[in-house]
Amino acid sequence: MKINKNLAEIITQIRNDNLESRSHSRDLVHWEEDHRLRSGAAKAIVFILPTKGCSWALSNSGGCSICGYLYDNPQHPDFEKIVKSIRGALKGKIQKDEKYSIKLFTSGSFLDKKEIPTEFQVEILKEIAIYNQIEEIVIESRPEYISSNTIAVLSEVININKLEIAIGLESSNNEILRNSINKGFYWEDFEKAVKITIDAGARVKAYLLFKPPFVSEYDSTKDILYSVSKVVESGVDTISINSISIHRGTLLSDLFEKNQYRPPWLWSLFLLCKEIKTQFPDLRVICDIVAGGTKRGAHNCGSCDKDLIEIIREFTLTQDFNILNKDVQCSCYNEWKSYLIHEKLSISDL
Amino acid sequence: MSKIKSGDKLRFFQPLSQIGLSRLLGETRTHHPITPGLISIENTIEKEGYSGFFDLPFPPTFPKNRKDTEVLIWNLPDTKIDKSLAKGFFLSEQPFYASYVPDSLSLENFSKYIDKFQSLDEAHKQIFTLPLSYVESPLLDKIIETDCSLYILTGISALFNNQRKLTETFVKLRERLPPDIAIYLPGPISPAYYSFLIYSGIDLFDNSIAYYTSKNGYFLTSDGAFSVDNHPPCYCKYCNSAKPELLKHNEMILKNAIGRIQYAIKTDTLRSLVEQDIHSSVTFAASLRLYDNNYSENIQSRTPIISSAPLKCIGEESFSHPSVVEFRKRVKERYTPDPLSKIVLLLPCSAKKPYSFSRSHMLFRKAMKDGSKELLNYISELIITSPLSIVPRELENIFPARFYDIPVTGQWSPYEIDETKLILLEILKHYPKETIILNHTYGDGYSQITESIEEMTSFEVINTSDSSHPTSKNSLTKLSSTLKEISQREIKSQERSSVPQLKQIRATADFQYGPGTGKLLFSNAIKFKGKYPRDRQIFYEKKQVATLHKSTGFLSVFPQHAQKIIHHSYNNLKFMDDHIKGSNIFAPGCAEADNRIHPNDEIFVISNNKIIASATAFVSGLDMNKMTSGKLAEIKKKVRN
Ligand code: SF4
Ligand SMILES: [Zn+2]
Ligand SMILES: [Zn+2]
Repeated sequence: MKINKNLAEIITQIRNDNLESRSHSRDLVHWEEDHRLRSGAAKAIVFILPTKGCSWALSNSGGCSICGYLYDNPQHPDFEKIVKSIRGALKGKIQKDEKYSIKLFTSGSFLDKKEIPTEFQVEILKEIAIYNQIEEIVIESRPEYISSNTIAVLSEVININKLEIAIGLESSNNEILRNSINKGFYWEDFEKAVKITIDAGARVKAYLLFKPPFVSEYDSTKDILYSVSKVVESGVDTISINSISIHRGTLLSDLFEKNQYRPPWLWSLFLLCKEIKTQFPDLRVICDIVAGGTKRGAHNCGSCDKDLIEIIREFTLTQDFNILNKDVQCSCYNEWKSYLIHEKLSISDL
Repeated sequence: MSKIKSGDKLRFFQPLSQIGLSRLLGETRTHHPITPGLISIENTIEKEGYSGFFDLPFPPTFPKNRKDTEVLIWNLPDTKIDKSLAKGFFLSEQPFYASYVPDSLSLENFSKYIDKFQSLDEAHKQIFTLPLSYVESPLLDKIIETDCSLYILTGISALFNNQRKLTETFVKLRERLPPDIAIYLPGPISPAYYSFLIYSGIDLFDNSIAYYTSKNGYFLTSDGAFSVDNHPPCYCKYCNSAKPELLKHNEMILKNAIGRIQYAIKTDTLRSLVEQDIHSSVTFAASLRLYDNNYSENIQSRTPIISSAPLKCIGEESFSHPSVVEFRKRVKERYTPDPLSKIVLLLPCSAKKPYSFSRSHMLFRKAMKDGSKELLNYISELIITSPLSIVPRELENIFPARFYDIPVTGQWSPYEIDETKLILLEILKHYPKETIILNHTYGDGYSQITESIEEMTSFEVINTSDSSHPTSKNSLTKLSSTLKEISQREIKSQERSSVPQLKQIRATADFQYGPGTGKLLFSNAIKFKGKYPRDRQIFYEKKQVATLHKSTGFLSVFPQHAQKIIHHSYNNLKFMDDHIKGSNIFAPGCAEADNRIHPNDEIFVISNNKIIASATAFVSGLDMNKMTSGKLAEIKKKVRN
């Protein structure tokens, strides 16, 4: 059983209590940002597609304990409109002599045909295939939608070498996947999906979650390191450490409000990046800090937060190890240390 | 690093002494004291004052040989490390378990944690995390059966404002866990709470509060936290170096706070310390009252009776001090006056102890002699006092009667008055109805107590100090003349009454071993050697059979002689074998211990209906029956055959 029934029940309950507030329709959201391609600096255009949301979150297992994306998804998506908006946006944004990465995010799985019917997956990619400046196309998907068939459909429209599938693995530890995140799949499913993707000529980016509920920060650090080793071994060349931000309407948010969860410290993220890059210099290490420096995101004491966030951001963009050698000092370093050990002792180990 | 082999069935800790819910735990082989203590959350250079420290890679790094890298190391002296059972405990192989999950989720996880814990190899089974909500879970038995020595208690701080739950939980915990398991409360805990929490059964804290306070600019002192910019001066080396080190200073305050309690436990004064300290927290003050009112049984039976520690009575809490309650209880249930007593003399207490050595009691004595020398041995003296209620003269030398100290005398609370009346009436039941009661007390509190005699009994009561203070000339003369007058009546008996020393050791034996034992142990043919304040040796048929100790006022009875009370003693331990190897009684050798045994008690080891040795108990009888390994008692004397 990949699902802990008790946990799933609790999550579903929370989900149902919060779902009513969902809007009926929403427009496509997009923006441009700096980005690091494997070949160097570039721009990225990020699209958030207003699909009806992640099927896993909509299922009667309730979705992941940490995820509240669903509440932003509309109930009745209009795909014709989505394709049109993408076409318009690309036309307006793409410059002649710039390199681009296009990120097609749905807050779910792009390859899930219940979320985006296959014909529209193809339509959207067709719009992108027009531009040669686009060197990378990133989509997100859960492993169960990745098959040689679903990829084959895409490879008819785009150069499959440009495709990167980001998989929210979160952790390589099945215990955590099952009892903390309610992920609904196991490490082995991820491994299979990676093989299929790589065999087809595309690449995989693995998302790892720092720090899931019920796991102490010390142990989550250990888990990330352990997961990185395993992920690299499976052939993945990019990892993204996703520092948690607390979404409303989730089990995590409930724990947080009951004072039973503290988002990670920036010290931990900083040192994680350092340790991983030292061990795997060639691995692309992305560390995405959503809501950094706020109560519901990774934070330190308040006075050193900005500096650390900036260092991590810069490192993510340049992949330059020297940036991590900067000497940051703050009196909260000791507090962080004692917090981690205390929390580890209270929650126990992996 | 660990020498623990599977099947060894020995816990790392051994209780060295026990006071109520708390204990002093030492390493099991070397008896090196470890708790109550402080754990450093990191490996520090300055280890003095710490019981142990965590040694974890920090921050965590890529796994190399992670299995054995996370440890809790005990701070044992070099000379003892090799002899001890283990140097430390591994931490790394504990299974995934979330302590604060919603209840419905955690039961599954908890049982899974237990299963995984059981499957670990012995060396990794020394630390168990116990969430508060599972203290009563039957699943916990599986862990108690192992020799896991340290439990990390989580979730207790949530109860810091709920005295009912808090006390209930601590008592349950003590009833549930054998006394050789150490309980560690991790996280930032104010040192002001240490004494109460240790009194409640917590053994170990860590120094994380030093990190928290230092970070936030708080300067700890023994009177609480101050801002680092404005605090009382400190002359420690850390505050007076060129670069003051706040963290180090704060650590030192924690170490001192623990040291103060270690000392109190060693000198048997923990309770008084707690009474002083609880005023820092409303919850804790209320909790102490709950312990006394609702759980006194659980605590009393674990509090030593044999002691010579000063007992400072500070506030109202002292009336329910476990040693005080136990004293009242034993006087009520176990004391019987000499059967030839014809007169009961009620006296007030004195500040000086024993009372006999005080000026006032010497005056009483003189007045009694002046009245009638022949009557002296037929007078049974009962001293009325707060908070012990009634101290018969024969028991004035034992703990706590000789060792208590109250700031004001003659102040009685209504509850105290009721309780004292009750005990007095109970004691008076032992006297024949023609006994005359001389009431030589004066004042409001006393009269409220003594009035009840006239209301509730048919004894003849003569007040000899009704118009002025008992030591006034007037009162003393009245006492003398009353006694003289009584001596003229025909109340003397043909039988010769016992000498005071014999009365004293009989009453002491009754108090110590159970009612009726004094008479069985000590006949009129007993001889004494040595005078107070030296130990008094007691002889029977030219052989020494017992000693009366000057330090505590209690007896040791030689095991051969104790055979006389085998069926009456409350201090018996049934032994599995017919002879004892070595000088200790170990848990597996104990078939059954009397639940009335208190720690420090002199106990009798019984095999095949014969007493084969006397011994000193480390822990209460209740807890002896719970221990599966370790020493229960130390042999004092064996019967040679
Ligand atoms: S985290 Fe991903 S898989 Fe989980 S519910 Fe959210 S969108 Fe779906
Ligand atoms: Zn800081
Ligand atoms: Zn100082």
